[in-house]
Amino acid sequence: MPELEVRGLRKRYGRSLAVDDLSFTVDAGRVTGFLGPNGAGKTTTMRALLGLLRPSAGEALVEGRPPGEMQEPLRTVGAALEATAFHPGRNGRNHLRVLAASAGLPESRVDEVLEMVELTEAAGRRVKGYSLGMRQRLALAAALLGDPRILILDEPANGLDPQGMRWLRDLLRAQAAEGRTVLVSSHLLSEVAQTADELIVIRDGKLVAKASLDEFTTGTATRMRVRSADTDRLGVALAAVPGATVAPDEDGTLIVEGVDGERIGEAALAAGVALHELAPVRSSLEERFLEVTGEETGE
Amino acid sequence: MRLFRAELLKLATVRTTWVMLGIGLLVEALFAGLYTGLVNVGELDREGIEGVQTSTGLLMVMLLVLGVLAITGEFRHGTASTTFLASPRRHPAMLAKLAAVLVFGALAGVAFVVVNGGLTFGLLGSRDLAAPPAGDVFSIYAGVLVSFALLCGFGLGVGAIVRNQVGAIIAALAFFFILSPLPELLPGNIGHYFPSQAVGSLHGSQTGVEEGLAQVAGGFVLAAWVLGLVAIGTVLVVKRDVSD
Repeated sequence: MPELEVRGLRKRYGRSLAVDDLSFTVDAGRVTGFLGPNGAGKTTTMRALLGLLRPSAGEALVEGRPPGEMQEPLRTVGAALEATAFHPGRNGRNHLRVLAASAGLPESRVDEVLEMVELTEAAGRRVKGYSLGMRQRLALAAALLGDPRILILDEPANGLDPQGMRWLRDLLRAQAAEGRTVLVSSHLLSEVAQTADELIVIRDGKLVAKASLDEFTTGTATRMRVRSADTDRLGVALAAVPGATVAPDEDGTLIVEGVDGERIGEAALAAGVALHELAPVRSSLEERFLEVTGEETGE
Repeated sequence: MRLFRAELLKLATVRTTWVMLGIGLLVEALFAGLYTGLVNVGELDREGIEGVQTSTGLLMVMLLVLGVLAITGEFRHGTASTTFLASPRRHPAMLAKLAAVLVFGALAGVAFVVVNGGLTFGLLGSRDLAAPPAGDVFSIYAGVLVSFALLCGFGLGVGAIVRNQVGAIIAALAFFFILSPLPELLPGNIGHYFPSQAVGSLHGSQTGVEEGLAQVAGGFVLAAWVLGLVAIGTVLVVKRDVSD
């Protein structure tokens, strides 16, 4: 059974559909990156999984059940939704104390998570004076408070400095390694590339891709980079191979699409041109992301 | 019980709560002290003393607002997400909130009685004036205490329905102080069943005893308003989405 599941989820706000017939599952033991351009419906989907909003159709399930039926909610799911969701006049420790009280957790746990997010020093200060990074840490501390089996984090890297990012990455990896479920949304694709095992990409409330990080970045079309001493002659030879498209790249290499390495090598041998390089091109996550979300078309 | 503790902590860990109650108490204390200390002895009849005992206007405003803030603050600052994540069915959290604001209102009532009673009757004694019968004094203070608790709950109910913080504060104050006294102008005694008159009955002011409900009845009427408003507010909180 998947830890988190969204099945035919639809959420309508007035006339616009924020989420449109979205289905996916999230499994334990890995970090799942939840990607999409702004307004794609990531936050709406996460809120539905947390039972904070009622789907217009379909369902969002936590451990196979609607989130409203969770028995020990904070021990089941920890969430960090927005870094600004604190009463500005309450200090960091008290924010966590309130939360601990509502879940029947001991106060010592508050000190533990404060230590984990390195916020012990600032815990006595009112949140009003916190930087965005400190608020993010406090939000994470709140998510971790109940030592939950599932973490749902909306843009947790926002406002973190490079050390904070690294710390977050290690934390998420460690949580997944312990067998927990981690769903983390982000628009910082490079950050996700270093953290996530699995990717869910949505656009306009619809699923556009769900794949492991490797599958996703390799993509479907095979693209090969070919370098040779005699690029012109090789280009002509490769263009003659059925199904191949050849394009010169900036650094004097050729990018060949539509045929595999074997066929390229054979064609080069037949033409009597020595190959200096023959390698698959992995599109970067950024490129693939723009590709699947159609962002570059400027829609 | 866990949720109740959390709600009490929420109220106690925000400075606004204490500042509002502090200012309310201070102003009422000044009034009680100045009046009983300075006014002509001849005017300190029983009615005058009762007037001092129930001079609670500003604290009533503060408690209504405090009740409103207990729920609208959650939506304004986005903490509602966290609160209802810890209580996904939501109505237990609302029930805990009601209990917490009732307790806070009652505590404010205790503080008021101590300050007001100490000053009023201390000063009366020092001016060689006899206090009214202890039973009367007690019943008025008991009424004040209950009304404080219920007013806080009243604010919570309005806040849960209106949700927008400023809108809810205006709605609660306008309803209680402006609209609710109006039905008194209608023929019959329908006006007695509106919240501000119920508070008047609860305070047991002898001045208008022929009009209005008995003290205990006034308490039940106000409690019914509170339960009604909080029930409607809770249904809305459970039904509506918690977004941002």
